[in-house]
Order: sequence, then structure tokens, then C-alpha cells
Amino acid sequence: MTLDTKPPDKSAPQDYEEVRGTESRATLWVRWIVLASIAVFVLLPIITLFVWSFAFRWNFPNLLPTEWGARAWIYAADDSSRVFEGLWNSLKIGGLVTLMAIIVGLPASRALGQHDFRGKGVVEWLLLMPIIVPALVATMGIHQIFIRLGLTGTVFGVALVHLIPAIPYFVLVMASVFANYGTALEETARTLGANRFYVFWYVTLPAISSGLLVASMFTFLISWGQYVTTLLIGGGSIVTLPLVLFPFLSGASHANAAAISLVFVAPAVIVLIFTSRQLSRDSSVMGGFGKI
Amino acid sequence: MTMRRVKERMKIPLMLAPALGIVVLLFGGGLLVGLGQSLGYFPAIGLTEFTFDHYVSVLTDSNFLSSLWLTFRIALVTTVLASLLAVGFALVLRHQFAGSRFATFLFQIPLPVPHLVAASGIILLVTQSGLIARLGVALGLIDVPADFPAIVFDKAGIAIILTFLWKEVPFVGLVVLAILQSVGPQYEEQARTLGANSRQRFFNVLLPLIMPGIMSASIIIFAFTFASYEIPLLLGVRFPTTLPVEAFRLYQDPDLAQRPEAMAISIVLAVVAILLLVAYRRLARYAVK
Amino acid sequence: MRHRKNSWRVVLALMAFALLVAACSSDDGAATTTAGDATDTTAAADTETTTTAGTTETTAAAAGTAIDAPGFTTWEEVLAAADGTTVNWFMWGGSDTINTNVDDDIGEVVKELYNITLNRVPADAADFVNQVLDESAAGVTEGGSIDLMWINGENFATLKQANLMYGPWAESVPNAVHVPWADPAIANDFGEPVLGLESPWGHAQFVVEYDTAFVAEAPTTFEALQTWVHENPGQFTYPAIPDFVGSVFVRHLFYWAAGGPEEFLGEFDQAVYDKYAPVVWAYLNDIEPDLWRGGDTYPEGAAMADLMANQEIHFNMSYDPSRASTNIASGTYPESIRTFVFDTGTLSNNNYVGIPFNAANPAGAMVIANFIVSPEFQLVMADPEQWGWLIPTDPTTWTDEQQATLASYGSGVATLPLVELNEAALPEPDGDWVTAFEAGWIENVLEN
Repeated sequence: MTLDTKPPDKSAPQDYEEVRGTESRATLWVRWIVLASIAVFVLLPIITLFVWSFAFRWNFPNLLPTEWGARAWIYAADDSSRVFEGLWNSLKIGGLVTLMAIIVGLPASRALGQHDFRGKGVVEWLLLMPIIVPALVATMGIHQIFIRLGLTGTVFGVALVHLIPAIPYFVLVMASVFANYGTALEETARTLGANRFYVFWYVTLPAISSGLLVASMFTFLISWGQYVTTLLIGGGSIVTLPLVLFPFLSGASHANAAAISLVFVAPAVIVLIFTSRQLSRDSSVMGGFGKI
Repeated sequence: MTMRRVKERMKIPLMLAPALGIVVLLFGGGLLVGLGQSLGYFPAIGLTEFTFDHYVSVLTDSNFLSSLWLTFRIALVTTVLASLLAVGFALVLRHQFAGSRFATFLFQIPLPVPHLVAASGIILLVTQSGLIARLGVALGLIDVPADFPAIVFDKAGIAIILTFLWKEVPFVGLVVLAILQSVGPQYEEQARTLGANSRQRFFNVLLPLIMPGIMSASIIIFAFTFASYEIPLLLGVRFPTTLPVEAFRLYQDPDLAQRPEAMAISIVLAVVAILLLVAYRRLARYAVK
Repeated sequence: MRHRKNSWRVVLALMAFALLVAACSSDDGAATTTAGDATDTTAAADTETTTTAGTTETTAAAAGTAIDAPGFTTWEEVLAAADGTTVNWFMWGGSDTINTNVDDDIGEVVKELYNITLNRVPADAADFVNQVLDESAAGVTEGGSIDLMWINGENFATLKQANLMYGPWAESVPNAVHVPWADPAIANDFGEPVLGLESPWGHAQFVVEYDTAFVAEAPTTFEALQTWVHENPGQFTYPAIPDFVGSVFVRHLFYWAAGGPEEFLGEFDQAVYDKYAPVVWAYLNDIEPDLWRGGDTYPEGAAMADLMANQEIHFNMSYDPSRASTNIASGTYPESIRTFVFDTGTLSNNNYVGIPFNAANPAGAMVIANFIVSPEFQLVMADPEQWGWLIPTDPTTWTDEQQATLASYGSGVATLPLVELNEAALPEPDGDWVTAFEAGWIENVLEN
């Protein structure tokens, strides 16, 4: 497996500019259909969740709840539901996983993105394995060892297993970012006498910051959404939001499931709002996923 | 060798060491222990002899093969559909027109939404008594829930595929979009001036450009779908179910002697995933050429 | 532009640092910190005024009482060891009503009375039983993660037979006098002798819930049910084994095939099984094509309530006779739901709380278990306005006043009267039978 690390040709025009009024009728129709289908496709489930979270009694065949109520939200806010505890644990673990991924992932992705060396292919394979092979398999294998080491039932233990699927995604994005990032500026700074730390902090970091932001977001989200690995290693003591949500999904309390789902999705959407520009504008970021 | 050269040589391995170390220790270690257990080595309950019995028992079980086929089928359908839809959306969204920026933003929304939430929303919509069915009643199309097609808890796994599509179409779409934007319209413009019609422009210019990206992104979503536990558990039938669900169910059996078999299923799952990847890349190389 | 990028870096770094500090500072303490919050924030002034007066009497009388439990000689010692500790109670968390009830009516009260912090951990029995097994296999013989478990049936048998239960202790706690240990229904859990390794909590009895808006007359015999299913295809189903309720539904069929429970009450007998199993599978396979989804799949137990509420099916089943009333009150069920039991009777059992062999806090666990069987708490449980549960303890051991209170309780709108339930009660078979029935169903009905 090789990561395609050739930088793209930036001299060509980047945007698809168009002269208004030259599109054909068919094109206009297609665009409208696409716009409408995206809106429906994306928004319908989310709106449904919103309405359900405020429903008290909503049975077939009613299109709107017959009785409204905030019961689900009240329960979610109550300590019995453990929603706040789950939220806090998910945030803690997500933050820890992201931090660890950054610390070990940055040097590795730089090496992969900017250097060629013997055995690079093997290293790439190794690092990308956890994307291909289910993390559940490794987690089941390592479970007993974690018990013996006292890592089960701890925030750190859970963060470690989340790291397994998280590192490959982080490296994938950052390797691409590093590949696109020319080292010219760094070299200039070095020749001007800057020390290593100065170069890293004032030259490298700003240049890769948007990519780093998105890579961190993906890493955080991977940890955020983990269910079965947390179930296994958390030993019941570490309750994250997916664990709080799951029993309600397979049950009959749709209102509870909806309210908790919305709490679960809120931080992630907030992160999206911050990184949306990077996602659509900086092609090296999403492009990283296109380079296996 | 001077200190400087030694330092230079050490530099790259040092940069790679922490990440590699974690992957090898946690992931590799987990796989190794799992492999050992699948071969019957489970000293905690007194099993110390290596044996292939569990693999034989797993591979000759017709239920296992049904589960394998189901897992593969769901992953394949999801990946193919997602790629097709994603390319379609990306081709339209790359242009700037009224509403395109808003549409692109909407398109990104599923990315950070966890799969469980997507499943949550979709269950409420597509069960036989879900919102869409109720719309059907309001429109006079159906009378009772049983008239609405069975999409959730069905043998075809339609709701499972829908949930994955909801998440993965934007993912692949944004990857393709990123590629299209980094390349720009220059090649198509050139082709147009040379007299190529839109079909030729698409198949001979655009497709080769985005193909590697599509291949790569589809590897990711195929692997993810193949390995998914929560979604098939929530939205699928009790039997036959997908391999990750089977493996974990067996792992959680109170009879610990079932563990080796659970691990055998898991290892087979891992091996199949790797083989599929290798085959896919061969195919990709061929197609891109 | 430059400024913007700088501030992003700073924000990221700060966030990461803050989270790292938070993570490191409360690594294992998640359980203790939040449990503390749980009892602090919600109001302690609940409805029961009798509780505090009553239980202090019990504890005063029990001080200096001898107790027969590993590691302790008097109840005083147990109370002292439990004071100021946290108890990790693992139990099924799929009902928000039960969750809130446990946190309020048990958690807050034991905090007040005994200074014990209850950490209720929602987990499926199968999962936490596995955890005990895993911890045992990994050599964790003390300081285990589970102190108290809501357990019975096969799960209890699994742990007991592997010697992974702490005890015996249940028959010597002060409130054990209120538990009819002489009754074989209490002294045996699915045929497995309890031997003081677990203490009763609630009493359960199987009932069928049905929607009176769609079912004119409740089919109270299996023959009538079969006819109804054929005449109304797609509107009946039962949960897939290994769901607890699905499993007991199948057990009813075995009792029906044999004309009664007697042949299944002893040890597993292959000949008896082989005699009746074909009858049962024939029945279930006969109705399968007319089940919901044509029998292509059987729903998860928790999903059935939704199916019934949405008119996809018109029957549901439960071990909790008052669940229908509770669900109507909480908006989950339409108001037309009622319950019935079969003419040939329905199975009933008790659920218990047990302590794993490696519990870090067996003293705290015992205090809670003792509180559960106290008359004061059993009254709270029996009150249809509060829990609405059936109770396993013997009211004749209570004070006259307490007995009068119990007698004054009515039943929920959809709950059958206690008299009718008791008349229909049938005992559960030995655990080995259950295992055989479940495996047989999977092979002959599910995979058929």
C-alpha cells in the first residue's frame, strides 16, 4: 500500500467559475434535484429526532405527536439517566485519544509524507491495518491482558483501545497534509538561524493547522462514536454516551432515544461548524482519504 | 560514521517509533493473543494445546458461511451505491451556483454524526410504523403497518445499508469533491476545446482523475461496513446476522470454552478483510491503467 | 489571517491540555465522583414518611447481632465497614422507570441511613456475568469491579457452579426473618438451591399484554391462541431467545404439551424432553408463517412494546404484571392495553441480588440487600403508585399496621388482581431444562 504523496499542481485554476445563464435546462433540473435530495436526505432523520424528543405519546398512524412533553429531556438531564456522566466521559476520553494521536501521529505522518525510505511500504501497511481489520478483533484479544494490567474500567484503558482505530485515520490525513506542505519555508527559516522549536511552532504548525484541525476532528469523532470497544474494556464502570444511548435504541422509548441522540450529536456538530471551511476548501485534507 | 549521520539515520525510525509501537503493541498484540486463543491456547481455563479444531468447526458451519456472505453483501452493496451516488453529487456540487455552498454544507453534516445517531433517526423513519409509513397512510397509500415494506429487521439488510449510505455518501462525495477541486477544470476545458463531448469528457478525463480517490475511499468504507457491529445488531435480523455480531455474541457466552471459536471467527474475519483489500488493490491498479 | 491561525493553535492546545488534566485527575474515580453528585442534587424529601422511623428501629435492634458471612461476625461490623463506601450495583438498565426508582428509593435512602453511595451501573446480566468470569480467569480475586448484581436463573447457576459467588450470607442478615426461606420457590432459583448466596428482591409472574382495541376476546388457552394467530396473520410474535421473556414463553408450551409442570421440576431428563419437544416445535413452526414478518425474524424483547404501541402487533409479554399499567401511565402504551394469564397458569419466579466472589465492597452490598427486604422498602415496592412490583417477602412477619397498608393497595388499571395471579402461578423448571429448551428452539425453530 503506498500513500500517494505527490503534491498537486497548484498553478492551474482552482474554481469552477461559470458564466451565469449558460447552463442548459437539463443541468438546472439536475441541480435542483440534487439540492432537494441532499436537503431531504440529510435533514429528514435529524428533524425526526427533534420532534420525537418532544413527544409524549406518538403512535401509528399519527403524523405528529398526539401528546407533547419534555419528559425525555427531563430524564436526560436527571442523574439517573447518566447522560451528563456519559457526556463528560466521552469528552474526556475523546480529548485524551486526540492528544495521544497527535503526539505519536505527527512525527509518523511527517516521516511518511515527506520522506522516502526503505520499508516505507511495510510501514504504511502496518499503520493502516487497523482500518482494514476490525478493531473489535484486537480488542477481544487484548481484553484479558487489560484486566490483568488493571486497565479495564479506567478512562486511560478505554482511551488506549480507541487509539487503535484512531491512529490510522489521523496518519492518513496528516501524511497527505505534510506531503502538500513544502519544506521550503522551513528550510529558509533554518538557514536564517531559527532553532528547531521555533521552526516547528511558528512555521510548521500554522501551515498544517487547518489539516491538523480536521485530522483531530476525525480522531475525536472515531473515539466519540465507539460503542462495543468501550463496552468491553470499560467494564461497566466507564459510561460513555454511546453506552447510555444504545439500550434506548433497541427499546420502545423513542423519545428518550431521540433526546439522548441529540445530546450525543451536539458536540460533534459544533466541531463541524468550526472545521467546515477546511473540509470544503483545503483539498489536501479530505484528499488524504483518497490516497491509500 | 559521524554522529551527524547516525542522528540522520535514526531520525526517521524515531519519528515512526511511537505510532508503530502503539499499533504493534495494542493492535498486533491483540491479534496475536486472539490468534493464540483461536488455536485453542487459553490457559486461563486450562486449555494449553494448539489445535485447528475450532477453525475446522467454524469454516464448515453453514451458519458461518451465511453470516460471511451477508456481511460481504452488505459491505459490497453499500460501497458500490455510495460510490455511485457520491460521484453524482460531487459532479454537481463542484460548480458554484445558487444554493451550492449551502448544499455543500448540508452535505457535510452527516460526517460528524455518529453512526448510532444515524441509525436512531433512520429507525424512526423507515419501520413499518415509522414516519414514512404514516405519511403513506395520510396519502391513502397504505392502511396498516403490515402494508409498508419491511425495511428494518429484514433479511436483505436494507435499513442497515440505508444507514451506512447516509454516513458514507457524504464521505466519499467530499473526497471526490476535494480531488476535483484540487485538479480544477483545466483538463476538461482542454478536452472540450479538442472537441470531446460531455460523455467523452467524463469517461476519458474525469473518471481516471477521480478513480484512485474513489478506490481509496471505498476501501475505507468497505472495511468499516464489513467490521461494523452496532448497526447490524440494531437494524438486522436475529439470524443470520453479520460476522462481527456473531463473533461478539459467542465471545460473551457464559461458557468460556466458546471463546476459542469466537476468536476463530474473528481471525477469519480479519483475514478475509485483508484478502479482499489485496484483491481490490490489484483490481484498482488494473482499472486505473 | 495570521492571527486567526495562531488563535486556533492556542485553542486546540488549551483544550487538549485541559482534557488531559481532567482525564488524569479522575482516572478511576469516575464511579465515586458522579455517584456522589447523584445523591446530592436530587431532593431527599420523598413520599415515604414511614421509612426513616421504621428502618432505624431495625438497625438498632440488629446492632450486635451475629451474622454468618465470610469475613464478618456481627452486623455491627458490616455496618461499620459499609459506612462511607460506594457500592457498584450492576443491573439491567433498559427501563428508565426502574432506573429512577432505584436511584431515588434505594440510592438516596441508603445514603441517608447508612452513608452508602449507590453507583447503579446499567449492564445486561449476560455482560456482567461475563465480566465476573473474565476477572476470575484473569486472576482478579479481590477488589473486583462489581459489588452487587441483579441476578437469577441461568446466570445465578453459572456463577454458583463456578464458585464465583460470595457467601453464604443472605439467610443471616437481620431482615432475613421477613423472607420465607422455607418456601421452595424462594430457596430454589430455577431449581438451583440458593443456599444463602443471593437475597430476594422482587417477585415476577408472566402475563400476556394485549390491545383490546384489536383483540375482542383474550385467547387464554394455547389452542385459542393458535386459532387467533391463523385468523389474524402478522399480528402476533414473541421475542427471540435468548431473551428472558421469549424463553419463558417457550417454557409455557412445554408445560402445556405435558399437561403440567411436574415432569420438568426435577433434574433434566432427556427422555421427557424428547417426548414433548416435537409437540412444541410443531406448534411454533405451525404458527410461524402467520407471525409478524411471516416469522422471518423475531424481535428483540425491548422492541416489542413499540411494535404493539404502533399497532404492528397486538400482543406483548412480560414478567412484570404491572408493566402494562406503568407503560400506559408513561405514554408508551395506548390506553386500550390489558393483561391476561393462560387458563393453564403462567410461570412465576423471584429475582435476587447477589454478590460476586471478588466484590470490593461486600459489606455495603449486604447492607443494601438487607434494606431491600425490609418491610418499609417492600411496601414502597408494592405500592402501585410507586413501583407496583410483586413482593417475595412474607407480610405476615410485618407489623399489623404495615400489613393493613399492604392490603389497602389496589392494582394498576391494566394489572390483574393479586388473587388471580397467585392462583395461576406455576414454578420454574431447573436451569438445565431451560438451557435445553433454548438450544432446541434455536435449532428447530429459528434456524429451520
